[in-house]
Amino acid sequence: MNPSTLIAPSSPIGLPAPFWFLVLFKLIGFTLHMTMMHLWYAGPILGLILWARGGNPRKFVRRLMSQMPIIIALGINFGIVPLLFIQVAYHKAFYPSTILMAWPWMSVILLLTFAYYGIYIYSTALKADISRFPPLTRAAGWVSAVFFIIIGFIFANEFSLMTNLDAWSRIWSANNVDGAVLGLALNISDPTFWPRWLLMFGMALMTVSAYIAIDCGFLGRKMEADYRKWATGFAYKPYLVGLVWYGAAAAWYMFGAWPDDLRTLIFSASWLPLTILTAVTPVIVAAILIATSRKEAMSPRLAVVVGIMQFLVLAFNAVSRQVVQNAELGRYFDVTAEQVKTQWSPMILFLVLFVIGVGIIIWMLRQLTIAKQEQAA
Amino acid sequence: MHYPWWYVPFLTSPMLIAIISVLHVLVSHYAVGGGFFLVVETRYAYRTKNADYLNYLKQHAWFFILITVVYGAITGVGIWWTIGLASPLATETLIHNFVFGWAIEYVAFILEIVAAFIFFYYWGRLKEKTHIAIGWIYAWAAWFSLFVITAITAFMLNTGAWHDNRGFWTGFFNPQLIPQVLARTGGAFLLASLYVYLHASFKARDRALRDLIESRSARPALWGALMIVVGGVWWYLALPESARTALAAASVLNVLMVFIFALTVAIFVMLYLGPYRNPGWFTPGFTILIFLSGVAAVTTGEYIREAVRKPYIIYNTVLGNQILPEEIPALRLSGYLEGGVWTRALVSRDYPSAVSGTSIDEAVLLALPEADQRRLGAVLFQYHCNDCHAIEAGYSPIGYMTRGWTFEMIRSVVEHPERAHFFMPPWAGTKEEAILLTKYLADIAPAHPAGMYYGSGEGRRP
Repeated sequence: MNPSTLIAPSSPIGLPAPFWFLVLFKLIGFTLHMTMMHLWYAGPILGLILWARGGNPRKFVRRLMSQMPIIIALGINFGIVPLLFIQVAYHKAFYPSTILMAWPWMSVILLLTFAYYGIYIYSTALKADISRFPPLTRAAGWVSAVFFIIIGFIFANEFSLMTNLDAWSRIWSANNVDGAVLGLALNISDPTFWPRWLLMFGMALMTVSAYIAIDCGFLGRKMEADYRKWATGFAYKPYLVGLVWYGAAAAWYMFGAWPDDLRTLIFSASWLPLTILTAVTPVIVAAILIATSRKEAMSPRLAVVVGIMQFLVLAFNAVSRQVVQNAELGRYFDVTAEQVKTQWSPMILFLVLFVIGVGIIIWMLRQLTIAKQEQAA
Repeated sequence: MHYPWWYVPFLTSPMLIAIISVLHVLVSHYAVGGGFFLVVETRYAYRTKNADYLNYLKQHAWFFILITVVYGAITGVGIWWTIGLASPLATETLIHNFVFGWAIEYVAFILEIVAAFIFFYYWGRLKEKTHIAIGWIYAWAAWFSLFVITAITAFMLNTGAWHDNRGFWTGFFNPQLIPQVLARTGGAFLLASLYVYLHASFKARDRALRDLIESRSARPALWGALMIVVGGVWWYLALPESARTALAAASVLNVLMVFIFALTVAIFVMLYLGPYRNPGWFTPGFTILIFLSGVAAVTTGEYIREAVRKPYIIYNTVLGNQILPEEIPALRLSGYLEGGVWTRALVSRDYPSAVSGTSIDEAVLLALPEADQRRLGAVLFQYHCNDCHAIEAGYSPIGYMTRGWTFEMIRSVVEHPERAHFFMPPWAGTKEEAILLTKYLADIAPAHPAGMYYGSGEGRRP
């Protein structure tokens, strides 16, 4: 069956903004979401492993997990932004692929609920009394960590299936009742799925490691010198593990799973600079972390540099993913071929409120700084 | 039709939207009303220097965060998940028109989350004035998100003049907006007080403190109940005629409508006689009773709001079976199987002899073996009817509805469902396809119940 015949018609309403605008906000939202999501994706597992080492690693785990409920809340809400814009700009591929795996996709909600409450149980226990850490509480942490990995597994399935239109017909034929989809499928037979799933964990480990340094330079400035020295010297180690993991998975993804046309595209003159930036920025972050590892403590200025660089790692990765996604879908239909009826006034209102919202958040955070300064005085 | 249909046995997939939505609404209203409760009462406690009340409010803020920020946020995402799966065309339509509305709502959400966490985690560490200011930011951001999302859900019930220009603001300021915002704001205040009562009856041990909580929260709850009634009446008046008629014609909705108003009045009386006039009634049993009454009222209200939209998901814009009304004339000529992306693919794959290019010859389909014709009828049922009807058991099962019907009776309804019941979508296929569907329905329809006596013939003995 020709996969293109399974593509829905364009919406008669048209796109409410130019395609590039929708994709831009999808990318901004996805990068912000990744920043937070990486911390809960690799953070709990790293935390549970570090916990066993006692001492300073335990202090870090306590710090990270006490921040985790807030990180998750922000990450979930940032995740809605790309979810919105993907439904506008890529509805023809997004809806069928989610419906084909409807039950696993739905299970994300249940898994996330348990994982989130598990994190609360875990972090509340850590805050309450570090000497008493009942096995059930630790189990809640493990359950959360595993559930987050499973959620990542399902997401990797969905977003690989979204561009793997060749599989739609096969999955549909194998999972239907009178032509209606049963929604029990996964996309694990897709060669791009496994490296794609693994790749995200490597990146997440890198982000958590960068966070160790950023936390040390900013939020943890009041921690004792011994802890700060440990955090500054330790951050590069899991970062390197993540980098090797990421590099191996990316190599598998690009050279073991991609068809030739995708490789040709990303190494073409137009996209080669982006490909190089995507590959090189994590190495730069690793180099900074190694170079600073012998210092007594990460300075706030260096922490800002690490933070910006790691954000760029994620942003370049998000843009590269977008280029690949467009190219993959472009085999079957032109993703940009929808009429545009720009909604100027709602768009302007959104941008104005967005700026006001950011301003209010900055004001609130400023109040926290003032409060801390007053307390210190 | 544009997208694959998701078959959920027994329930039907759209019922999952209803389940998740109700689970969300019970908390999302508390997220709004509870925000106002926390900031108003914290300000009061600061002003009166009531340390016990402040302690209680801090405890309540923690409970509030656990319920709203975690469960509320995730079930909110859950609604996105389910509407995309069970109503993809309606979701596509809404999001193409209102994506900036949702984007604005998410700016408010982020503000809510940041403010909620600061309000709780920096309790006692901020100046009172700053603490209260952050509480107000939370409360108004939460209400603003209610306002924006209500505009979109209200649009689904009455699109107003949107079809004239398909403009964002025409759709946003639809006739249902103000009544629904009024009712939902009232619901938020009422539900928040019920949550407070429930929480306080277990957590506030001191009698004087409990009395204070009761009396302070009674007034917003009473006002909330009144706003629900006023908003509800206005909502009814702003309904399109089809929705108002559905409300009057369907006995279940009739009963539920009476039930919801009776329940609201009962809650009002309980609040007035209880917390407002006789704070001593405040026991866990009483608060559980009044809380469950509130939950029942809200759940019923949401059910009615969803049910009266039939046959549309979005009034006059997207039908329940995921087609656009303007597609119907063409589908009646070319065929539903041909018009549907996935149904056309199925016929092309399994019955290529009936396909020429992208066209399907229905006459060829009628010449297929009976089993194949029934199978195609089943495909038509899935894509045309399963959004509202389970097959043989479950939610509004078609098997039970056609029990004992003759072939011609079924065919007559299949060809003109909107004449049999105005809240059903019209048939959107050819006459040949109607026969295919009829053959399938006749095949699964059970016989007329045996032993029924109608004055002559056999009967009276089961």
